[in-house]
Amino acid sequence: MEANPIVLDDAAGDVVVVVVEGEHDIYTAPTLRERLDEAIGRGGGVVVDLTGATFVDSSVLGALLDARRRALEAGQGFVVSVGASVEPGVQRILDITGLVPVLPVVNDRAAAIETARVNGNGSGG
Amino acid sequence: MTAAPDVHLTMPARPEGVAVVRQALAGMADALAFEAAVLADMKMAVSEACTNVVVHAYDGDQGTLEVDMLADENGLTIRVRDHGTGIRPEAARSRDVPALGLGLPLIAALSDAFTLQGSAGQGTEVRMTFHYARDSDPAEENPVPGTLGDDGRWAPGARRETSAG
Repeated sequence: MEANPIVLDDAAGDVVVVVVEGEHDIYTAPTLRERLDEAIGRGGGVVVDLTGATFVDSSVLGALLDARRRALEAGQGFVVSVGASVEPGVQRILDITGLVPVLPVVNDRAAAIETARVNGNGSGG
Repeated sequence: MTAAPDVHLTMPARPEGVAVVRQALAGMADALAFEAAVLADMKMAVSEACTNVVVHAYDGDQGTLEVDMLADENGLTIRVRDHGTGIRPEAARSRDVPALGLGLPLIAALSDAFTLQGSAGQGTEVRMTFHYARDSDPAEENPVPGTLGDDGRWAPGARRETSAG
C-alpha cells in the first residue's frame, strides 16, 4: 500500500483525473511528473484532484505548472480540483502564490472534469 | 506550557529526508501550543528550506542536512543548515532540476521572522521563527512576488495583479 499514492482515473472517458493523495514534495514530485506525462499523453483533458492531498510544496507546483503549459499547448484542458474543505497544507501555498484563478483550481471534481473537457478539444486554438 | 526538548537532526541531504523533518516538526509542535494554521505554515517553510539544501547545496555530491528546533516562550525557531557551496539562488534556477525560485519567498511569507546566512564554500543557514499565535499574517507583510506569465511559466519577480488595487 503506497502511503502517498498518485493514480490515474479514466472513468470520465476523455478527461483523465490524476488523483493525488497524502503528502507530496521533492521526493514524490518525479513520480507526479511521470503520471502527469502519462495523463497528457492520452490526448484528452487533464484534471489533477488534490482532494485527498494533505501537503504539497513548490516542487509539486512546479510539476503542475509544467504539465499545465504542455497540456494547453497541445490544446488539452487542464484543471486542478480540491474538495469542499481543503487542507491548510494545500490551500495556503495555492493562495499565497495566487495560482487559484490561473491554474485554475475549483472545489469540485465533476466541475473540474467538465471545465477540462470544454477548455480542451483544440477549441482554445 | 510544557517545555519541549531542543531537537537536533542530522541526515543525508536527500529528497526522502524532507518528509522525515516534517514528521519531527509535527511531533515537536504537538508538545507546544501552536495554532493549526501556524503549524501548516511551519511545515511548508521548513520543507522549502530543506528542499533548497537537497537540490542546491551540494551540486550533486553527498552532504548533510542539519535541522535544529529550539523552543522558547515566544515560539519555535528552526535552523536549516548545510555545508555546501553557498547561496546561489539565481544559478540554481537555471539548473536541470526544475525550480520555480519560490523557496525563499515562501519561507519569508510563511514565517514570523527569517534570516539567511552563508557565503560561498561556507554553507548556508536559514533561520525561521514561528510564534505560537499570530496578530497578523506574515504573508500579507511579505507577499510572494511573481505570477504566471503569458507563456505559462512562473515569472518570479513579476508583479501580480490584485483586485485590491
